[in-house]
Amino acid sequence: MSGGAWLCLLSPLAGALAITTGGTAISRRTAAWISTGTTFLAFAGAVWAFLSLRSQSGHHGELTTAWTWLQSGSFKVGLTLLVDPLSTLMMLIVSGVGALIVLYSVGYMDGDDEERRYFAYMSLFVFSMLTLVEGGNLLLLLVGWGLVGLSSYLLIGFWHERPSAVAAAKKAFVMNAFGDATMALAFFVLIAHTHSLSFATDFNVHLSSTAQTLVALGLLGGAAAKSAQIPLQTWLPDAMEGPTPVSALIHAATMVTAGVYLIARTHPIFEQARTVELIAAGTGALTLVVAGLVALVQTDIKRVIAYSTMSQIGYMFMGVGVGAYANGMFHLLTHAFFKALLFMAAGVVIHALAGEQDIRKMRGIGALMPLTKWCFLAGALALVGVPPFAGFFSKDSIVAATLGLGWYGYVFWACGVLGALLTGLYTFRLWFLVFPGEPSPFVREHHHTHHGQEGPWTMLVPIGLLALLATAAGWLQFAPIWHPLTDWLEPAARTLAVAEPTNTQEYVTSVVTVVAGLAGIAIAWAVYAGGRARRPSLPFVQRTLEHKFWFDELYDAVFYRPTVALSALLRTEVEDAIVLPTGPDLGRTTLEAGALVRRLQTGLLRTYVLFLAGGAAIVAFVFLLAK
Amino acid sequence: MSGPGTAWYLALAAFLFGTGALGVLIRRNPLIVLLSLEIMLNGANLALIAFSRHVHNGTGQIFALAVMAVAASEVCVGLGLVVALHRRRLALDVDTLSELRG
Repeated sequence: MSGGAWLCLLSPLAGALAITTGGTAISRRTAAWISTGTTFLAFAGAVWAFLSLRSQSGHHGELTTAWTWLQSGSFKVGLTLLVDPLSTLMMLIVSGVGALIVLYSVGYMDGDDEERRYFAYMSLFVFSMLTLVEGGNLLLLLVGWGLVGLSSYLLIGFWHERPSAVAAAKKAFVMNAFGDATMALAFFVLIAHTHSLSFATDFNVHLSSTAQTLVALGLLGGAAAKSAQIPLQTWLPDAMEGPTPVSALIHAATMVTAGVYLIARTHPIFEQARTVELIAAGTGALTLVVAGLVALVQTDIKRVIAYSTMSQIGYMFMGVGVGAYANGMFHLLTHAFFKALLFMAAGVVIHALAGEQDIRKMRGIGALMPLTKWCFLAGALALVGVPPFAGFFSKDSIVAATLGLGWYGYVFWACGVLGALLTGLYTFRLWFLVFPGEPSPFVREHHHTHHGQEGPWTMLVPIGLLALLATAAGWLQFAPIWHPLTDWLEPAARTLAVAEPTNTQEYVTSVVTVVAGLAGIAIAWAVYAGGRARRPSLPFVQRTLEHKFWFDELYDAVFYRPTVALSALLRTEVEDAIVLPTGPDLGRTTLEAGALVRRLQTGLLRTYVLFLAGGAAIVAFVFLLAK
Repeated sequence: MSGPGTAWYLALAAFLFGTGALGVLIRRNPLIVLLSLEIMLNGANLALIAFSRHVHNGTGQIFALAVMAVAASEVCVGLGLVVALHRRRLALDVDTLSELRG
């Protein structure tokens, strides 16, 4: 069982190392195929781990420790892998969707100057993400958590000659560092109380209520930063500066859903601090509505999908927050399929239009790219949750699970339904603006094909496969009738009783959310398909949404400007007014002292050896005297 | 126990170490400097083994083995540098390599 897990973890690392050490000795194509091959190998390892876990009775999973990694007194951390239902599910998603996206990159990045660096980073990311999900203790989870942050930073800033990409990478890193810090603080509290970071100890101990709340809040901070939930959400749309396959893999399918995984993994801690868990659900509910609203006015094709990702992760947070862990993870799974599909289809369109991302210029591209058009439609229907596409099964069960909670459950439910309406609206606004109709003059002028096809096979095959999955994967679970995924996850994360809706609630919710989604589609059709209804003119609302509720401006005003103002104040009022006039001239004195010491640095080997020998002699002399 | 006493071994070790140190300090050819370094290390090794015999404890011998491994790797790096210097047609004189002067 652990053999599969180790294979899954180490093969992307081997790929990254091979590409890095190979350098220019291997061709760009070879680097691309090494990365693709090792990621597919990782998927094989994940399947192996899954099959052997399934054949184990009760499939509770097992821990394998390679060696003790850190030891300090009674505090011990091993290099431990955990193979249990939750981690195998994540392994399958990360390596499976990852392999398809790396394959897609072979076509997408073809001809880039720095393909080798790109594929080395991609392999590094897959390895980091697998460390995160397979780590058998909280410290290893944090290691993976930090590594995915690093590889996300490297890939957002991949086109480093673009200032906007560098700024976006920095922003993502700083926002995530905030979450990493709160998580580390939570772990310190845990170590102080339990002297351990192992899952088994920390999940079965009863902490004081203050400690519980602190730990849960720290974990929630990390989860919200990584998953771009309010108030740490502003980095995700900017992260679209990275290459499109990166957006598909890191900022849609896997890394940003790590927060959901974290809450599901550490659910015993969150259940002890139930208020914090409900705050997580509330954060998700708020984010899903806000992100859905902002998505309505975006004009960049990737940013619309990015806001949709934030919104869908909001659903997942709501699901795991109310205690329906399996439903949250189910939506994570289907979302990984259809969102990666949407990004990659958008990537094909961007590729065919030589880098254009403005949806207002793309009208009618569907006539020239029928395959992409139909795949995108499958992804869009799955996103809106129209039966029988995947999103219908997973999203509705999350919304239904909120009904058992009392009055705030109804608030969550209303947010979920409103979110479904918004999802239909923004998704099909995108669809009607980009695909149907006569190609616009811009499209006719700039569209070019790849040897008469829509794209190379490496790009079209993953899209086709994901379109199949986005259409069919939902049948995996239909909560009122069969629920293999919930049963599978039960040993790792048992759904709370309060989050198990009755069948009536399930059916009613399904009908309501589907009607809301279809209503959204209908409005989008009326407004954007041929102008059957006029777009309402609400300048203030539009401006608010275009500024994304002024979050960036708010953070600028609260954190950046005061710091700059304070620094300027200190410069003029303290440095110039107080430090410089008093006492000796500090700067010059320091320089003079430096010049004096500099003479010791002769650059001659013998001087250094002499100092060394002299120092040793003095130490020996002092030692003898003391004796 | 037969053979000379520990003090003799230590005296020889100190002599070797001193010779090596002198060589490192006054010779200018990097090859000779490396050679002198080896002599220093072997002086230290001799002292370790002498003490190991003196206290009837194998630890010193293990240390000496570790020192040999370190010495081998150090020579690899050092000779690599010498070869690199030679390839770039620089003088084999450690006193001319003073670019790090402050």
